[in-house]
Amino acid sequence: MEATYRHATVDKFVFKVKTGCWYSEAGLWVQLEHSLARVGVSDYVQQSSGDVAFAEITSAGTELEREGYLGQIETIKVAIDLPSPVSGTVQEINEELDASPELINQDPYGQGWLALIALNDWEADRANLLEAEQYLAVMRSQAEEAAKKL
Amino acid sequence: MPDLPEKKVGLIACSGEDLAVGTVSRMAVLQVLERLRPQETVTLCLPLFLAGEERERAFARFYPTIAIDGCSKRCAARATEKYSAQPAASLVIDDLIAQKGLPEPHGLRQLDAAGQAVAQAVANALAQEVDRLLGHKQPADIEVEAEGPGSEVEPEGLVVATCACGSGIPVAQLQVNGHQVEALALPAILDQFREMGKLANNATAGELMDAVKLYNHVPDDEAAAWHEAVLREYARTITAAGPAGNAD
Amino acid sequence: MSEPKQTDNDRVLIIPCSGIGKAFGSVGREAAYLVLEELRPDDTATVCLSLLTMGDEESQQRVREQRSIAIDGCPKACARVNIEHAGAEPAAIFRVFDVFRAHKELRVKQVSDIGENGREMARILAEEVAVKVDELRGGKE
Repeated sequence: MEATYRHATVDKFVFKVKTGCWYSEAGLWVQLEHSLARVGVSDYVQQSSGDVAFAEITSAGTELEREGYLGQIETIKVAIDLPSPVSGTVQEINEELDASPELINQDPYGQGWLALIALNDWEADRANLLEAEQYLAVMRSQAEEAAKKL
Repeated sequence: MPDLPEKKVGLIACSGEDLAVGTVSRMAVLQVLERLRPQETVTLCLPLFLAGEERERAFARFYPTIAIDGCSKRCAARATEKYSAQPAASLVIDDLIAQKGLPEPHGLRQLDAAGQAVAQAVANALAQEVDRLLGHKQPADIEVEAEGPGSEVEPEGLVVATCACGSGIPVAQLQVNGHQVEALALPAILDQFREMGKLANNATAGELMDAVKLYNHVPDDEAAAWHEAVLREYARTITAAGPAGNAD
Repeated sequence: MSEPKQTDNDRVLIIPCSGIGKAFGSVGREAAYLVLEELRPDDTATVCLSLLTMGDEESQQRVREQRSIAIDGCPKACARVNIEHAGAEPAAIFRVFDVFRAHKELRVKQVSDIGENGREMARILAEEVAVKVDELRGGKE
């Protein structure tokens, strides 16, 4: 089934939220692939952060707690720590991001994925995550707050 | 109304690198974006009309746009019309300099004092034109005076201007009568109708077309074909996403 | 009325994207002018990128006949893409981004005023471009 998106507009910006994913309030998405979770940052996070210059993701084999340190993205504006939305063991990281960090900006839900994680306790993690529609509302509030500060 | 970017005035500067008036165009637009009318304006890099995607080329079809050109080649006005839509207003700095007896600007990297004065004067004129296009004021005439910096009241603080190219105006491609057309704002319109739980039928198609026509010119002789294409696209998105409330 | 610089076919064209929406567009423009006006004034010239976008035949012919260096401020790569659309291939492509990746302490936030960090970044980039100009011109200083 092709990917579908919901959109939220704040000021002059349009932010996409991919349906079928789960989201943390920090704006990381989780896509289930059987017992694995592919994770990345949402369109709102990449737009509000700016052009990504570096993406440093914790290495394969790392055991992660939910909210534990997954990595950091550094843009031309800011450096952002990424709290893991799930607990588990990192199986694979997106090595394309070394040479092409701009993938996070160009395709945050696709080629800009960050890590693939073998899940410890999905039921516990899911209880702390938002469905796409819920994240859309949370993200809109975050974006409106940010717009007021400009 | 569909969830679309706020209506602002678009500013497209030529930013011509080879002439001082190109730098003037750039500095004048940045003054308006950052200081004079930060909440009311948005910009796009002119070369993105060629290097970008459909959502960038939709810029002047969505935002009433002012083209600001340095010289008579009018790259900003002509490229905007060629790739996007006719600008709502157009300003050529060389012409203004001649008409108003303004000092000749010099400097490419750094404008001289005359160049800065011209940039300020152009920025003030642009701000008034922005107000006019948004219906905020109706000045009898747009006067351009060679005034020094700070000649118009500026808001407190500086806004870091951002361009419109990151977010994009939603555009969908439709097959109409065997050829492809761009339907501005269609994805947002379809989203809205799905949220309302509208069925994919002829009655809905009529309502969809009323919304589509707010943002797109639909020729009379293609109205029926558009009606069919929009309904087909709506049915497809319902099938792909599921009706409202069914997050996949 | 303003007049463009005279040029000969041997000059290398320095074409920045001059992006107005992002600070790195201004840094690239600054770097281009450093090369054009200070570092290699006799070896280089420029073409308004907007003329290429508009499809100006004379400008397109210049980029086809002369070697060009594109300086881009973001991944959209407007300078490179517009040169290619004119039927030419840049002899070299520089990305402001790559300078930032090598000097990430040089953060630049504002488009209209790139500040000391931006000017430093522009100078680093300009010196790299100048070396390339020398290479293209056969080592002539």
